Amino acid sequence: MTPHVLKHLPLWIEGDLAGTESAAVESHLAECPACLEAAEALRASQARLREAMASPFDASDAVRLRCSVMDQIRAEPAPRPILHLASRPALLTASAAALLLASLVWRFERGRSVHSAPPPAPPPTSAALSAEPDPKPAPTESRSALRYETQARIRPASRHGTESLPSGMPARIEFQTADPTIRIIWLAQATPPSEPSSTPEEKS
Amino acid sequence: MFPGSEAALMDEGIASLPEASAQDPLAQLVRRIRGGEAEAFEPLMARTEARILALAWRILGDRHLAEDAAQETFLRVFRSLHTYRLGEPFEAWMIRIAVNVCRDLARKRGPLPVPLDLLDVLEGDAASLGAEEAVLLQQRRALVRQALAGLPQAERTALVLRDLEGLSTEEVARILGVRPVTIRSQVASARTKLQAHCARLTTPPQGGRP
Repeated sequence: MTPHVLKHLPLWIEGDLAGTESAAVESHLAECPACLEAAEALRASQARLREAMASPFDASDAVRLRCSVMDQIRAEPAPRPILHLASRPALLTASAAALLLASLVWRFERGRSVHSAPPPAPPPTSAALSAEPDPKPAPTESRSALRYETQARIRPASRHGTESLPSGMPARIEFQTADPTIRIIWLAQATPPSEPSSTPEEKS
Repeated sequence: MFPGSEAALMDEGIASLPEASAQDPLAQLVRRIRGGEAEAFEPLMARTEARILALAWRILGDRHLAEDAAQETFLRVFRSLHTYRLGEPFEAWMIRIAVNVCRDLARKRGPLPVPLDLLDVLEGDAASLGAEEAVLLQQRRALVRQALAGLPQAERTALVLRDLEGLSTEEVARILGVRPVTIRSQVASARTKLQAHCARLTTPPQGGRP
């Protein structure tokens, strides 16, 4: 005979046991009169509980309660209506989109200010050129500085394109340093090769 | 306005809690109330008041206190309706409020009163029986109520929600804010005590004088 299941009966009687446990209890009850008698007593007790605790209220009690509550509710100031503008995920998506759009506009405006012509500056001296910073970002630089420098690397390309510039037009070369507040602008005037008196230093 | 008849409204509510859905009439009523239509609270009450009244009476064991608890429950429901999240089962949310109200009232009242004497006034259905049958029925009910009143508050609440309100163990656990294993333990203990109490009082004493 399988072990007695008396301690499992209070859960088994209302179907609170898992399938395997419940099957084990039922298998034992089929062969154990003592446990079966206990299970029947528990079943009768549960039935008496439901019979004794049936609601004593009738419809008139419910109507009286409803009237009393509604009278109090009508006497209270009306609650503010809740406006549902959008669901929470929709609001989050809209906020993220607005943030992204704002950052794009900001970058675009920043880019326009970089491209716009600043007031002409005198040609830099050799000392100024030697002070040109390393275009590679330092490991300790902030994220915004790195981004800015990546954008500014496009600018020196015009230095290599000076040969294609029309003769007589000054070439504009810009270097944006890692520090966004420091920009080196170099205006170079291409000299026709027929003038032998000019030196490379003068060209610059 | 709603198809539910009075008889249906007074149903014991043994069935499990309905899940909130787009077709849930309670959810639609809640939307109307939250939109400022306070009168929509009346049909909402009509659908839920029987269940709340019965629940409060089963937990508190006192008819007049249960009516007070039900009234306080509905007022709290109305005033805190803005905190209810649409989509979760409304009745479960309301039952949680009712249980809290009953706890507050039970704390103020103190220990449960001893149930009415076995030969007290006969209840409605017992009055239609013969005298002897009515007395037996009344005795049996009083025994059960006495046993229920003797249970610890947590066990009694778990037993009422699980066995009398027909909620699943997981639903009861969510409402009471405990783990399902705790509810299983509490209802098992309560069922055992209830059965032992009734068996002790109904079994004739042995070894007495002839």
